[in-house]
Amino acid sequence: MLLEIENLTKVYRTGTRANDGINLAIAEGEVFGLLGHNGAGKTTLVNQVVGLLRPTSGSIRIDGRDMVAAPGMARRLCSFQAQAQVPIDGLTPRQAIDLLGQLRGASSVDVHRRRERLVDALELGEWLDVDAARLSGGVKRLVAFAMAAVTPGRVVMLDEPTNDVDPVRRRLLWRQVRTLADHGAAVLLVTHNVIEAERSVDRLAILDEGRVIAEGTPAELKARVGAALRLELVLDPDAPDLPASPFGLSAVRVGNRLMVGVPIDAAGPAVGWAESLKLAGFVEEFTLGPATLEDVYVALVGDAETRPAQVEEVFDATAA
Amino acid sequence: MQLLRSYRLLVTWQALRKRNYLPLMMAVQTLFSLGIVLGYPLLFPTLDRTSIYLIATGAPAISMVSVGLVALPQTVGEQKTEGSLDYMRSLPVPRLSYLVADLTVWLAIVIPGVVLGVLVGAWRFGLDLQVSPLVVPAVLMVALTSTCVGYAIASLLPYMLTVIITQAIVVFVFMFSPLTFLPDKLPGWLEAIHRVLPVQAMGEVTRGTLAPNEFGLPLGAFLTLAVWCVLGFGVTYAAMSRRG
Repeated sequence: MLLEIENLTKVYRTGTRANDGINLAIAEGEVFGLLGHNGAGKTTLVNQVVGLLRPTSGSIRIDGRDMVAAPGMARRLCSFQAQAQVPIDGLTPRQAIDLLGQLRGASSVDVHRRRERLVDALELGEWLDVDAARLSGGVKRLVAFAMAAVTPGRVVMLDEPTNDVDPVRRRLLWRQVRTLADHGAAVLLVTHNVIEAERSVDRLAILDEGRVIAEGTPAELKARVGAALRLELVLDPDAPDLPASPFGLSAVRVGNRLMVGVPIDAAGPAVGWAESLKLAGFVEEFTLGPATLEDVYVALVGDAETRPAQVEEVFDATAA
Repeated sequence: MQLLRSYRLLVTWQALRKRNYLPLMMAVQTLFSLGIVLGYPLLFPTLDRTSIYLIATGAPAISMVSVGLVALPQTVGEQKTEGSLDYMRSLPVPRLSYLVADLTVWLAIVIPGVVLGVLVGAWRFGLDLQVSPLVVPAVLMVALTSTCVGYAIASLLPYMLTVIITQAIVVFVFMFSPLTFLPDKLPGWLEAIHRVLPVQAMGEVTRGTLAPNEFGLPLGAFLTLAVWCVLGFGVTYAAMSRRG
């Protein structure tokens, strides 16, 4: 494994335990997602890898070398897109990308070539020579990504790279993230966007209150919900309490949305049940689709808007 | 080699970052000098020879202090709050390169105001300044010390405290620091404080090299500045390298 994090704990001076015994290992060529709510400890983790924070205990190794003891080397081996906007007002994207590429040690000829490729791939051409102070947040984010990708380190860490980016360019960006891994980088992708992560990562870990509470491929994690399908009901806020589910599966309620796990052979009855609820005025609408990583995520940590108290198990897994 | 290469690239980056407001900052800071040179005679229509020389040579010192101890810490404090300082700290470059590159750009902001302030002062009062060649290292020393100390303030303190302290510095430097007057005008206790702080030394070094015939060259003040410069740089470097 290229990046190995063992038993990493970070306690701030305020007493906040932001990371609590984290173990992660990421291989060359792998895109690894780190999911979690705001405050789950994701940024603290990457800041330790890149040498901005010193771990309270535990180890961080890249290619077997101790990065806690050599933060300067960590900065050379990792390229990093921070969560905050990059300080490039006054620079054009062309200048910013070129400067960072050269600061990471590449020759100007190589940097120009790679910059041209990235700018084409991310469709940034029309903004290439515009002062970054006049760019939208989304375009700036893409420029920040290009800055991290133009001369990539062996580990590339991207902290919320798609924030503010439009849906079309998000796809272009994800393609470039994959390209980075295909060229041998270990990509650590920090996000709270579960749906995007599901499509883009090889493996992922879910972080909650500083601890890894689940880790695996998206398929492995989805297997944990125990249902291949997900019935999502949008509840009528004025309706009385819902009658019991005819399925022996757990369901999670988030606000007025109710997600019910449904076995594949129960798809027909599930739709029938949902239809009857709609006719009876309990639900406004419903959808049946494949179970997603979001279901796993919500089941494990709840939803940001509702957690922790309002996420409730409305059906018991063992109820008939 | 890596140090020089990253220094060159970082100077480019920092200068481009400040490009939008660089002319404005230079203009405001030049106005500082001009304001003092042109404004003092309005307050005090009859000025003796020493006071005229003090004002003409104190104005550039005040403009250097105002950038280094006020504008710089506020800007760096802001960068700290918005996370951009951490971004720069995450770059694969020696921290020394970053710090020296940033200081270089700040020095470049300071110098035009100093030159213009001196020229306007000499013209306004009809002075024939016998400038010492030592004025170049002296001005660099004053500018470097004020920027280093300013950087240290911003590195050590939270942003809000930096803003409050720098505002207090403005009042302290303008009203109660012997830059446009001699230290013996101050009460004894404040005079004693100024013997330790760098501001008085900045004034002495500036006027001592701009008008050596009037004030003489104060070697002790150079020493005081050197100590503060090293202290400011050391504290800043330590803060930049520190992992929280």
